[in-house]
Amino acid sequence: MRVKFWYLAVPLALAAATGIVQANSDVEKNIANPANWAMQAGDMYNQRYSKLNQINTSNVGKMQVAWMFSTGVLRGHEGSPLVIGDMMYIHSAFPNKVFAMDLNTQTIKWKYEPKQDPAVIPQMCCDTVNRGVAYAEGKVFLQQADSTLVALDAKSGKVVWSVKNGDPSLGAVNTNAPHIFKDKVITGISGGEWGVRGFLAAYNIKDGSLAWKGYSTGPDAEMLIDPNTTTTWKDGKVQPVGADSSLSTWQEDQWKIGGGTTWGWYSYDKALNLVYYGTGNPSTWNPAQRPGDNKWSMSIWARDVDSGKVKWVYQMTPYDEWDFDGINEMILADINVKGKATKALVHFDRNGFGYTLDRTNGALLVAQKYDPAVNWATHVDMKTGRPQVVSKYSTAQNGPDKNTKGVCPAALGSKDQQPAAFNPNNSLFYVPTNHVCMDYEPFAVEYVAGQPYVGATLAMYPPPGEKHMGNFIVWDANAGKIVQSKPEKFSVWSGVLTTAGGIACYGTLEGFLKCVDAKDINKDLFKFKTPSGIIGNVFTYQHKGQQYIGVYSGIGGWAGIGLAAGLEKDADGLGAVGGYKELANYTDLGGSLTVFALPPK
Amino acid sequence: MRVLRYLVILSLSGFFGTAIADEPLYTVVDGYKVDPDTLMGFKTWRAAACDRCHGANQQGLVGPSLIERLKTLSKADFVKTVTEGRLDKGMPSFNTSKMVMTNMDHLYAYLKGRSDGAITKSKVEPIQ
Repeated sequence: MRVKFWYLAVPLALAAATGIVQANSDVEKNIANPANWAMQAGDMYNQRYSKLNQINTSNVGKMQVAWMFSTGVLRGHEGSPLVIGDMMYIHSAFPNKVFAMDLNTQTIKWKYEPKQDPAVIPQMCCDTVNRGVAYAEGKVFLQQADSTLVALDAKSGKVVWSVKNGDPSLGAVNTNAPHIFKDKVITGISGGEWGVRGFLAAYNIKDGSLAWKGYSTGPDAEMLIDPNTTTTWKDGKVQPVGADSSLSTWQEDQWKIGGGTTWGWYSYDKALNLVYYGTGNPSTWNPAQRPGDNKWSMSIWARDVDSGKVKWVYQMTPYDEWDFDGINEMILADINVKGKATKALVHFDRNGFGYTLDRTNGALLVAQKYDPAVNWATHVDMKTGRPQVVSKYSTAQNGPDKNTKGVCPAALGSKDQQPAAFNPNNSLFYVPTNHVCMDYEPFAVEYVAGQPYVGATLAMYPPPGEKHMGNFIVWDANAGKIVQSKPEKFSVWSGVLTTAGGIACYGTLEGFLKCVDAKDINKDLFKFKTPSGIIGNVFTYQHKGQQYIGVYSGIGGWAGIGLAAGLEKDADGLGAVGGYKELANYTDLGGSLTVFALPPK
Repeated sequence: MRVLRYLVILSLSGFFGTAIADEPLYTVVDGYKVDPDTLMGFKTWRAAACDRCHGANQQGLVGPSLIERLKTLSKADFVKTVTEGRLDKGMPSFNTSKMVMTNMDHLYAYLKGRSDGAITKSKVEPIQ
């Protein structure tokens, strides 16, 4: 009886105390107050826009460092801290520490450091990033590298519940941030280079029990696809996907080790009750081993948050031959498209195309290149939704053990996970991009459970005749056009922040935090060199009447390692090649947080 | 003891190139054409995706440069490292990979050839 009593009394007491029924309302309340940075993107739409305007175009140049904090961890630091009220929640790369910082006293109220099997580290080759925590109803949610999802008591840091989300011994590990939508914690899985079969999972905030799990590949029932009601874009219109839409695009049982992992940033539209996300590359990187469209890898998904049922799905890169891993964030924005007020979903894919879809039904509206260097496809056919592949750059047509040269973009895409921002004041998107091409040589590889399943050798370098490897751009998602473009020496691998103060801020791999005029991004209004290269996302909050802008530094991730890998095309160089050496002229490892504010008057 | 003797011969051949030992560790022509065993070593390197951490040219990325490391690492330590990994440093254990375990000597020969400077290109081809 006692057990039963507790079972009933705790949730009731909580509900009574907070006066809410669904966690969604708690998060909604927190994100409505711009003093907080209560979700990784600041909101559920992935817009990364703040209404704060104390720091603005006229004074941002006077910003100074307010305080700094070392996480004590050397490897790449992605994501950002969260701020809710007087508390800031700071996280680190593996071993995935979480610090609860009291902003009033700048003391660490509690610290959580999970014990994780070090065998996980090599499974995360080649960097042990983590993209941050989530917060709702007095709990901090952490998705650990070893795939354990934990809910921590926000007051004490004690584990409230913990659940295993994957099998790390098979390469199913996690780097993504958990996301809170409604009464669920949504999380995904990594391991596309280990043949992991991707899925999106929803756990109940209350106790960590699994609400639903929808796979990216396989039988309809396991994907939570209904052949009659789930739709896709076919022959220029929205139509039911039909039976076995995934199974019919794979040879035999290959879908079981077929990838389609889900390690990006998710978004949610409350009115439609849909969660949006992307699925990654099919495994292996050698296309000859997996003929077919490999559905639904490389796709944009809309699932009902309560049931996980798929409302619609759209595949961007059928039969991937380049590792154009489709996990990048889906930004939800209400904008005019082709003269019509549209509930749009805007997505900058690794494949170099910027997509605008109708998020209510998945209708394809716009698909255009957001880097002029993109050459692997001439265009996306608007009727079929398929990119028109250029034979010369087809690693499948050229075949295994043949080096396909000069493909743009490189595998890390015209943009990787580093999230873009929307500016509702001009309806434009501020996008951190890569400007990198590659040679790609696929080869036969055998699947061994728990071992890398890659099957291609790559070399990456700037586009021919160019020296810079990144651009910070402004994108018009209605016209499908670049409005402004500002070259950066290295890939811009940092999440962007836009604000009501008329500024856009981002970090660079050399370690600079830059704030520019949103109207003229070529104007650097503020520039500061932080302790290490930046691959984290810029965020802002207000405390005791003062606005702060902050960012993690800590070089790493694929940008700090992979990009640097092959700056010179060569296959015969010994020792560190050109570009890597060059990045080393600017920065070295070290995770820390730098927070800026205007000087006291 | 037999194992030890075998290791000594290998390490000698590593130090003094291909001329001294009875069985050369590797044979290379024009810097990039190699014997079938060493070619297998390259294929093993590629299949195990070692380049993701050690660099396409073994120059080192998040993992150390194998060009440098194999100048001092003993064969025994090489085998131990590849078999058991150095997990906390991010080096996986390959003991469940049949390809790596059966081609351990060839993998070593290929990497040693790269480290010695005798194999001048990462991508090697068969001797015609």
